[in-house]
Amino acid sequence: MTVSRREWLRTVLQGIGIGAAVGPGFPSIATAQGTEAGQGTGPLTVRVTRPFDAETPVREFASWLTPNERFFTRSHFGPPSAETVQPDVWRLTVKGLVKEELTLSLKDLQQLEAVTLTAVLQCSGNGRAHHRPKVPGVQWERGAVGNAQWTGVRLHDVLQRAGVKSQGVHVQFQGADRPALATVPLFTRSIPLAKAFHPDTLLAYEMNGRPLPLLHGAPLRVITPGWMAESCMKWLTEITVRTDETPGYYMQQAYRIPETAVRLSSGLPGSAMVPVEQMPVKSLIAAPAEGDTVRIGPVTIQGVAWAGEAPVVKVEVSCDNGKTWEQARLLGESQPYAWRQWQYLWKARQVGPTAILCRATDAQGAQQPEKSPWNPGGFLWNGWDRLSVTVAA
Amino acid sequence: MEWVGSPVCDGGGMSKSMTHKTSGFVLAAWLCTLLGWVVMTAAQEDDRGTIQPAQARQALTLIHARCAVCHTTDLIVQQRLPADRWTVTVEKMMHWGADLSKDEAAVVLQFVTARYHSGAPDHLPSIEEELALTAPAWGPSTASDGPLVGVSERGAEIFARNCQACHGEGAMGGAGPKLARNKILKNEGVFWETVLHGRGPMPAWGAVLSHQEISDIHAWLATR
Ligand code: HEC
Ligand code: HEC
Repeated sequence: MTVSRREWLRTVLQGIGIGAAVGPGFPSIATAQGTEAGQGTGPLTVRVTRPFDAETPVREFASWLTPNERFFTRSHFGPPSAETVQPDVWRLTVKGLVKEELTLSLKDLQQLEAVTLTAVLQCSGNGRAHHRPKVPGVQWERGAVGNAQWTGVRLHDVLQRAGVKSQGVHVQFQGADRPALATVPLFTRSIPLAKAFHPDTLLAYEMNGRPLPLLHGAPLRVITPGWMAESCMKWLTEITVRTDETPGYYMQQAYRIPETAVRLSSGLPGSAMVPVEQMPVKSLIAAPAEGDTVRIGPVTIQGVAWAGEAPVVKVEVSCDNGKTWEQARLLGESQPYAWRQWQYLWKARQVGPTAILCRATDAQGAQQPEKSPWNPGGFLWNGWDRLSVTVAA
Repeated sequence: MEWVGSPVCDGGGMSKSMTHKTSGFVLAAWLCTLLGWVVMTAAQEDDRGTIQPAQARQALTLIHARCAVCHTTDLIVQQRLPADRWTVTVEKMMHWGADLSKDEAAVVLQFVTARYHSGAPDHLPSIEEELALTAPAWGPSTASDGPLVGVSERGAEIFARNCQACHGEGAMGGAGPKLARNKILKNEGVFWETVLHGRGPMPAWGAVLSHQEISDIHAWLATR
C-alpha cells in the first residue's frame, strides 16, 4: 500500500456516511468496539474497526432500498488503495479455460448491454451472534443485509466474448484487496458455470444509480442474485475459468456448511461440507424497534422478507411470543431477488412487556424455523426475528 | 471454517492449504497439550480476578502488539468460545503469521480462554481499556531512569515486529504514514507522545514497549 493513512481513512469513510459518526477524529481502535452507531452517533453499528465491518441498524429497513451510505460493509482485508481501482489503471482480465484472454477497461465493459436489477445482498454470517453454542467470526446480529439496485453487464456476455472452453466448469473471482501479511491466504472464490452463465448474474459498476463506492467494491463487483454475499467478489480484477472449484482457505474451509444443515433430507452424511450458496427464506421487523414502548391500541408493525431464488409468499406475525400467528400484508409487487416489504396492524390490548415475532414462507414451501440448524461457521441464520416491546396504557 | 465438534487434537482443523512456517503437526501437538491444561484450570480461572495480574498484563500486551497487525482487537474481544475453538483459532492465526513464540502463545491462549469463554458476559472492556486499567501510567519501564540511548541495530528488529505491518518496510509508509525522514523524528516530544499514547488508529505503545525499546526504534528511524 502506498497511500497515507489519512488518505486511506478518507477513502474508507467516503460514501458510507461514517464521517458524521466519528466527528473530526477516527474512533480509536480502543473505543470503536461495539460503537452503537444507530444510537445517535451515526448510521452503522461497527463490529470490527479494521477491516471495517459494520452492519445497518434494522430500522433503516423501513425503506425498500438501502442507501449506499447505510449499507452494511464487510471484507476480509479492507479495500485496496484508491489508486489501484482508478479507471485509468484498473483492468479486468478474463483467463484460464477461455479461447481468447481478455483485458478490459471499465469503458470496454460499459460497451456491453447494461442491465439493472434489485437484489438483496446478505453476509452469510448475518445472525451469527444468535447461534448457540457460539461460533467464531464477526458477531453479526440482524443488519448484515441490504436491498439495492445494481447496474452492470451480464457475466455471461463477458464470458461469451472470451469463449469458455468445454472443460471450463467453475468461474473463479479475484479482487484487488490484499492481506496485511503475505502469509494470509487471498480471498479467492469460485462459482459453478451454471450460476456464472445465469442471465441475472452481473458484473456491477453502479449501486443505487451511483458509481460503486470503494467500500462496496469499486469499480466492479460480482452480483449473484439470490446467493450469499461471499460470491459477490468486490474490487474484481481477475476472472479465471477452471475445471475445479477454487482451492484455498476461503473456498475449501471457510463458507462451507454441513450438507445436512442446508437440505435436511439430503441423505448425505452429516459431515459432508458444501459451499454456502442460496439464501434461505428470512424476514426482519424494522419497526417498532427493540425495547420500544408502544401505546395500547393499533400499532403498525412493518418489515421486510426475502428468499434466495424463490419469491416470498407469506409473512406471519406473532404478538404473544409465538403462541398465535397472524398473516401480514405483503406490500408492492413481488420482484425476483429483491426483498418484499410487509405490514401488520396489531391491536395491542394488554399492558405490559411482550415479544413480537415474524416468520416468512417462500413459494417452495420453506418456512423460517424458530432457530436455524447450528453449523460450525455460524452461517445462514434465518430463525424467527424477535424483539421485545412494552405496551403502555 | 473447520469443523471442530469432535476430535480437536488430530490436527484435522488444519487445512492443507495452510502449509506455511511451522510444521502444523508439531504445533497442533503442543497446542493440544496446552489445551488439556487450559481445560483443567479453566474452572478456577473463569473470571479475571483469578488470572494473575502480571499474566493478564502480559497477555493483553501481546494481543495488543501482535494480533492487531491484521485486524483490530475488537474482533477478538467479541468472541465467546470454548477452549477447543480458541485453540484452533490461535493456531490458525499463527499459521497465517501472528508472531508469537510457543510460550507467548500459551499466555495468550490461557487468557482468551479464561476471559472470552462461552459463558462470559456479553459486554467486556476492549483490550486497550483493560491495558489502561492494568497499566502503570507510563508503561513498564518508568523505573528505568536516566537519559536513554537508542541502539539503532536493535531498533530495526523491534520496528519490524511491531510497526512494519502498518508503517511499511523500511518505514516507507503503508496503512500508517511514512516515518523515514518524517519531521516528527526531530520533534521528540511529539514522537514520544504519539508512540506512548497513540493517536486515532495508531495504537498506544506505552504499555507494550519499554522506553528503551522506543528509543531504539527512534534511533533506527533516524538512520533511515
Ligand atoms: C497475519 C494476520 C493476522 C494476525 C497477526 C492475527 N490474525 Fe486473527 N484473523 C486474521 C484473518 C485474515 C482473519 C479472518 C478475518 C475475516 O474473516 O474477516 C482473522 C480472524 C480472527 C478471529 C475471528 C475468527 C475467525 O476464525 O475468523 C479471531 C478470534 C482472531 N482472528 C484472533 C486473533 C488473535 C487472538 C490473534 C493474535 C494471536 C490474531 N487473530 C492475529 C488474520 C490475522
Ligand atoms: C495498526 C497500525 C499501526 C501500527 C502497528 C503502528 N502504527 Fe504508527 N501510526 C499508524 C497510523 C494510522 C498513524 C497516523 C495517525 C493519525 O492519522 O493521526 C500512525 C502515526 C504514527 C506516528 C506519527 C507520524 C506523523 O507523521 O505524525 C508515529 C511517530 C508512529 N505512528 C510510530 C509508530 C511506531 C514507532 C510503531 C511501532 C512501535 C507504530 N507506529 C505502529 C498506524 C500504526
